[in-house]
Amino acid sequence: MPPTTKIFKEDILFHEFNATETDYNQRGYHLEVALEVNQVRKFAQKAYDHGFYLVFVTGFHVLPEETEEGTTSGLNGVYQFARYDRLYRIKGHVSVPEDMSLPSICDIYQGANWHERETRDLYGVNFDGHPNLKPLLLSDEDQDFHPLLKEEENLKSLKEVSWSAEVPDSAEADEKDASE
Amino acid sequence: MLESDFQERNRFFLNMGPQHPSTHGVLLIVLEMSGEYVLDPQPVLGFVHRMHEKMAESRPCVGFMPNTARMDYVCALPYNHGYVSLIERKAGIEVPKRAEYIRVITSELNRVASHLLWLGAYLLDLGAFTPILYGFDDREHILDILEDITGSRLTYCYYRFGGVSRDIDDKFVASTRAFIKRLRERFVIYEKLVTKNIIFIKRTENIGVVSPDMALRYGMTGPNLRGSGIAYDVRKNEPYSVYPEFDFEIPVGSQGDCLDRYMVRIREMEQSLRIIEQALDRLPEGPVRAKVPKNIKLSPGDCNFAVEAARGELSYYLVGDGTSTPYRLKVRVPSYSNLSCLPELGRGILLPDLVSILGSFDLVIPEMDR
Amino acid sequence: MGTENKSSLIQPDLEAYVEHLKSESCRPIIEDSAGPILRMELSDRILKLCQANSLWPMTFGIACCAIEMMGTGMARFDISRYGSEVFRPSPRQSDLMIVAGTVNKKLAPVLLTLYEQMPSPKWVIALGNCAISGGPFKVKENYNVIEGVDQLIPVDVYVPGCPPRPEGLLEGILKLQEKITGVRHPLPQNRHPGSPLRKVKGLKSK
Repeated sequence: MPPTTKIFKEDILFHEFNATETDYNQRGYHLEVALEVNQVRKFAQKAYDHGFYLVFVTGFHVLPEETEEGTTSGLNGVYQFARYDRLYRIKGHVSVPEDMSLPSICDIYQGANWHERETRDLYGVNFDGHPNLKPLLLSDEDQDFHPLLKEEENLKSLKEVSWSAEVPDSAEADEKDASE
Repeated sequence: MLESDFQERNRFFLNMGPQHPSTHGVLLIVLEMSGEYVLDPQPVLGFVHRMHEKMAESRPCVGFMPNTARMDYVCALPYNHGYVSLIERKAGIEVPKRAEYIRVITSELNRVASHLLWLGAYLLDLGAFTPILYGFDDREHILDILEDITGSRLTYCYYRFGGVSRDIDDKFVASTRAFIKRLRERFVIYEKLVTKNIIFIKRTENIGVVSPDMALRYGMTGPNLRGSGIAYDVRKNEPYSVYPEFDFEIPVGSQGDCLDRYMVRIREMEQSLRIIEQALDRLPEGPVRAKVPKNIKLSPGDCNFAVEAARGELSYYLVGDGTSTPYRLKVRVPSYSNLSCLPELGRGILLPDLVSILGSFDLVIPEMDR
Repeated sequence: MGTENKSSLIQPDLEAYVEHLKSESCRPIIEDSAGPILRMELSDRILKLCQANSLWPMTFGIACCAIEMMGTGMARFDISRYGSEVFRPSPRQSDLMIVAGTVNKKLAPVLLTLYEQMPSPKWVIALGNCAISGGPFKVKENYNVIEGVDQLIPVDVYVPGCPPRPEGLLEGILKLQEKITGVRHPLPQNRHPGSPLRKVKGLKSK
């Protein structure tokens, strides 16, 4: 009998972050956390303290947009954690600022070492505090190539690739921060 | 262990790979050695980087199916399974029961084939030439069974969105049952030849001990994790398809050394045979493919699906944008996280022990490089 | 020796083969003079027979086709019937390189180093679609895969398939033997049952 998720409400642990519960059958994960850049390490430390393992660290590329802090770079980092003993998956996403750097979580989760190197190879995101940010998958001559960055004409905005955008042409202007 | 002065004078760098009989693919490990002791192993990947994720973004979602088989070619059907289930979860497609049963049977057969190949290759690394011949012979029987319905021997592309592409017939059921009976008799041979062999036990006992905390920090999954005592299997923890209807156990080791990982895989093969038998007994009638639109549009938003491949937990993460082409597809492969613990695990060990550890991890390099 | 012109027709006939050797411009045989001091055709032929029947492949399996190459060496398909029993890990001890899998930019210098480390005479089989032309990875957005290993090294035999069956690789070995010696089964004991026994002519000089 697989353990169910409502035995212990894990989302209480992450109440200090901007976390929303999601429908597992639709999305495949239980909790979605919208992070700021300075919250990434606290989030990873919280996950480690409560026994989550790192599934992956990756990113995706959308149109840069104007916010009150300045223009974003258009890149978003995605972190996913899960548990060994219960079924609970958490996805955290963070918008990479214009200087293209995120804090590294290598000292908390050593497995993130390779995931962050790969994200740097494919997208060009710099991770502060990473001990060895050399190219992992690409050859040395290609290390600044960043193949997964999209061309101008293929970029879409973050709203267009989020769940709230039911019809791609008409995006809601006023949506809640947390519901993506 | 290390007399510093003598060892300092004997420090050198050795390249293990990329062309090496025991690295199971093109993996380069730069070893800083001191005599026969490895001080710091650093794997270098990227020699088989074939841009699968870039290809996923440039073609409709149905065009990515051949790529899923080429990432891990030894055990390709769970990769197919994960991808079609991901698109079915995103688009809300219902799969007929008979198709689910066929998927489970073929995936478990492929898992057994993968473990047999691993067994042969691991023992070849340790210097034994006989088990690989036995293992490949058993594996050829599975390949014959699967070739009749899927059409290929290695890189299967058999599942479709909404089911499978061809129905199975009585010949398949009969030959699978005959094969299960045969393999159970062959397990006795493997037991006598390998498991009770004193040389094998000496090469694998207490070598490469992975503690549960180390496994958590690196995100290890699959038999490598189960050898350390944590009973995590996606088929039980996060059930998908029709796995909840079957009765099977999760074999777990106690110490986390190479011998435990070996025993976990051997017992997993037996559990897979149990699942196949139960599925064949309860196989329902019905269609094998649901009606799906020709051009599946992926609604905007992200979606995740995890399956248990032979090497661990395989996760697909998709970001859709309303068209039929994925906006971003991330494939989280199990061998990637399993190998990343090598710099910590391989510090201060002997070189033959490193070969034994690499073999017990069951790595497939093209899936790591994607 | 292995770099014979791909377009030259190899006749499956020993007589014509000897004629072909005689007509090569690097070995002129002038009819009315005393002739060359040493005539090497016979020893060449014997040497090529020996080489063709004991090709030692190097294990350079990269990706999916490597599993089919391993399967060919195993009990059911048994490549050792054709002489290639020992798969040497070291290039310095082998004379056949079977490139099985996709070569990309990071691997290309490695492949060249291995090819140069092999002593002559050496042959190359490109196994699988990826080694022939890039295979399923020859796409518009390709940034990394080398489209065909013959852009780097000279290839003797191409075996298509994704992955090719082990019988395909065996056919490739037989074709290579035909390329080296001029006949498909250089030794009588390798002929298939039912095929006519061929008279091995030319052992006495004509």
